Amino acid sequence: MILYFITIISLVLLAPILLSFIKALKMVLLFKKPISLLQGYRNFSKLMQKETIISSETSSITRYAPFLVLSPLLVTMFFLPPVLKGAYYVSFVDAFTITGLISLSTFFLMLLGLDSASAFGGMGSSREAFISALVEPAMVLTVFSVSMMAGDMGVGQAGVNLAHNFPTKHMSSFLFAAISFFILLIAENGRIPVDNPETHLELTMVHEAMILDLSGVYLAIIEMASSIKFVIFSSLFVSLFIPFGLEYSPLVAILIFIAKLFGVAIAVAIVEVNMAKLRLFKIPNLLGISIVFAFLSLITFYVLGY
Amino acid sequence: MFQFDTLSIVFVFLILLGSVPNVFYSSGYLAHIERKLHYQVHYFSFIGSMIGVVLSGNALVFLIFWELMSLTSWQLILTEVKEKSTIEAARFYFIMTHFGFVFLLLLFLIVTDGDLGIGFASMKSIASSFAYPTLLFFFAILGFLSKAGAVPLHVWLPYAHPSAPSPVSALMSGVMLKVAIYGLFRLLFDVLYPWPLEWGIVILVIGALSSLIGVLYALSEHDIKALLANHSIENIGIILIGFGMGMIFDTLGLKVLSSFAFIATLFHTFNHMSFKSLLFMGAGSVLHQTHTKNIEKYGGLIKSMPVTALTFLLASISISALPPTNGFLSEWMIFQSMLGSSHIDNTSLKLAIPFAIFALAMTGGLAIACFVKAYGITFLGLHRSTNAKHAHEVNFMMKSGMVLMALVVISLMLFTPFYISWFDKVLVGLGMDSIYAQIFPHGMWNLHSVGMHGGVVSPIILLVSLVGLSAFMMFGYKVLKVKERVHNTWGCGYKTSAKTQYTATGFAGPIRRFFNWLYKPDEHFIKQTIAGHESKFSSSNYEVHVKPLFERSLYESVAKIANIISYWVYRFAHFEQTRYAAMIFNLMILVLFSYRVFAHEFSWATFVLEGVVMIISIKVLIIGDKK
Repeated sequence: MILYFITIISLVLLAPILLSFIKALKMVLLFKKPISLLQGYRNFSKLMQKETIISSETSSITRYAPFLVLSPLLVTMFFLPPVLKGAYYVSFVDAFTITGLISLSTFFLMLLGLDSASAFGGMGSSREAFISALVEPAMVLTVFSVSMMAGDMGVGQAGVNLAHNFPTKHMSSFLFAAISFFILLIAENGRIPVDNPETHLELTMVHEAMILDLSGVYLAIIEMASSIKFVIFSSLFVSLFIPFGLEYSPLVAILIFIAKLFGVAIAVAIVEVNMAKLRLFKIPNLLGISIVFAFLSLITFYVLGY
Repeated sequence: MFQFDTLSIVFVFLILLGSVPNVFYSSGYLAHIERKLHYQVHYFSFIGSMIGVVLSGNALVFLIFWELMSLTSWQLILTEVKEKSTIEAARFYFIMTHFGFVFLLLLFLIVTDGDLGIGFASMKSIASSFAYPTLLFFFAILGFLSKAGAVPLHVWLPYAHPSAPSPVSALMSGVMLKVAIYGLFRLLFDVLYPWPLEWGIVILVIGALSSLIGVLYALSEHDIKALLANHSIENIGIILIGFGMGMIFDTLGLKVLSSFAFIATLFHTFNHMSFKSLLFMGAGSVLHQTHTKNIEKYGGLIKSMPVTALTFLLASISISALPPTNGFLSEWMIFQSMLGSSHIDNTSLKLAIPFAIFALAMTGGLAIACFVKAYGITFLGLHRSTNAKHAHEVNFMMKSGMVLMALVVISLMLFTPFYISWFDKVLVGLGMDSIYAQIFPHGMWNLHSVGMHGGVVSPIILLVSLVGLSAFMMFGYKVLKVKERVHNTWGCGYKTSAKTQYTATGFAGPIRRFFNWLYKPDEHFIKQTIAGHESKFSSSNYEVHVKPLFERSLYESVAKIANIISYWVYRFAHFEQTRYAAMIFNLMILVLFSYRVFAHEFSWATFVLEGVVMIISIKVLIIGDKK
């Protein structure tokens, strides 16, 4: 139980570092002087000290929505597969619940965008609604395909089963699911080529547009939520698709896990440096690939049988 | 004459849950209605006839109450005739509902062998000796699903529901559609059991199509009540997906999974009743205050109508199937039952189920988009019209109706085990297995799926943790005593006004553009450019209308064919007498020639010659010159 809480807290603490790491790595690859890994913490503490400016056009939604954006993601953190052997984990929560919790967070984020009566907010919400509507089926199909291979619908238990007993027979459907899930990871976290997290140009904004009117503590909360979302997706990817290293001693297991998370971050950074942002109406093509791979994964699994 | 088995009782309970808050709402709404007596008489006989349908024990009583339900709801649509479209909508509803009634009548005449007084149990033996059971199944589908509003018989919903007074729309969409689902249960279980595999697949396909088509057309709607009506199509689709899965599992002998799917179906039926009634009430309150159904004319109503806004938010979250609401729980159960498809041995069927999973997941994603649009444009931002500016909270009775319905939604969320135990009893009454102990094996906290390695969800724990965490953080925010300042929204140096906001049309823009091949929208774009500059204009107006594909292809082509036939009938009926003489002459030639060809002897040469003679004489004598 203690290990369970320690891992969750360490993952939450790790979240800003991971995002800063992606940014720093990108800067290195572009021959710029990289930012410090602690930049996320610095931003957070700066925002916490600032006064909060609330727009006079907004309603009570703006006052409550940021908390409702963060809390489903925090709840999801408790349902992730375990980082190390022996740690307590919630074994039974399945993909549909996790997708639902993430959607709940997105739902309030989109309402937040529409609340400030600015064109940017509406633009961001509209685009986010479009993207997340297409992400949802791919996400459900992919994670279910993996859960079936692992022999348990619960995502936590699936992670453990995969680590102990990897289904080499289903390697092909496993790979298809991994490709599909990586695309989803990029799309849901608003990374290039779907969205550019660093832009402030209205033509390309999705996530940034929705939170343009937030400041101070509220902005800090939303930033925290987006970094936690990245950790959720990357640790799901890591425990479902790179399932090894659970059986070592706690410290080593945690280090291996963190190393794998950084591996995902490196992959995302390399994709970001090498690709241009897609036009909004090209994004369905990318997500279509993800949906097709999810289907392929399920179908190859069914054809091969247990 | 009447029967009180568990299925009937549970559906009576559903109707009461749906109509008691509605009676409160309706009494608040009554001041708005001119023909009060007409309204009240039909309103209460509508509720009574629905209860009558679900309690009826034989075909005659069933059909009488069914027809009474149709007629009273038809009259209720006609309560406030202010626009011509209301009369048209009522006529459309009248025709569609009687189209279904014809098939129900045919069905009952066959399965009762002409004696409409016999009970459902004794119909079974007659039905099983009937040579074409699939014909009976299709009669049942056409009869009940035209009332439930499943594709392709859904076209009347987006017209009829918006035209009715709001409490009636809530009743029609929330409760009356469920009576059709009751009919499906009663008939398929009591009369047409056992089912071939194909029947379940047909229902599953209808359900998947309805759910996708309903939500896609909901996204393109500007009329808030039509939007909700399209969502009814979607939810009926989800209910039918569960129903179809149940039927497929039952045919394949997977009894436990079958019961699970049917319980999920019943649960979603209840949930849809609760949140859809609440949404229609909320939409009705907004409409009552702003006097327009156009979603683009709302905005900022959360400030003046907090109770409506809060209950509408609850219902929106629930209908979007977001945890921890009741809508999520029932969709979760339907998902889990579809994942039970890994138990099926038939590989081609097994490969087809992921497409239904895809349809359901896609529906969920699009429903979220649609309700962000409906809620965000209606209640958030700035007032988009003067009507919206002058809106204030509705009267006490309407408010209490909405709050009571919100309590029904919350009770479905909190007391899931209680409801599921009743659904379980219904299925036991219909001859299925009892699986309550498998769904809740360890007390009432966790809801288990019955499939192999099935998932688990714990609604109350989810609810408590979400609410607890949010409240904890809000408390932390209070404790921190953060300095706050109020300032205008940044509008790039311009003043933020109602016109700088995103519109509903704009919000659905990307999705509309992606599904352009389906929508084929009718766009109007008028722009007053300044001095010929492409990008500078003084005013511009963009409108887009989407006419449903089914209406365009299926219904209008039927109307076209009917037009052509009636045109020719008309022409034949209005000839001069000489033409009639010519027609008689031609007919006689035709009879003589065909006697020779078919009965006497056949040779190609004379056949062609006679044909030419016939064509010439018809052309010259009957059709005449083209003017």
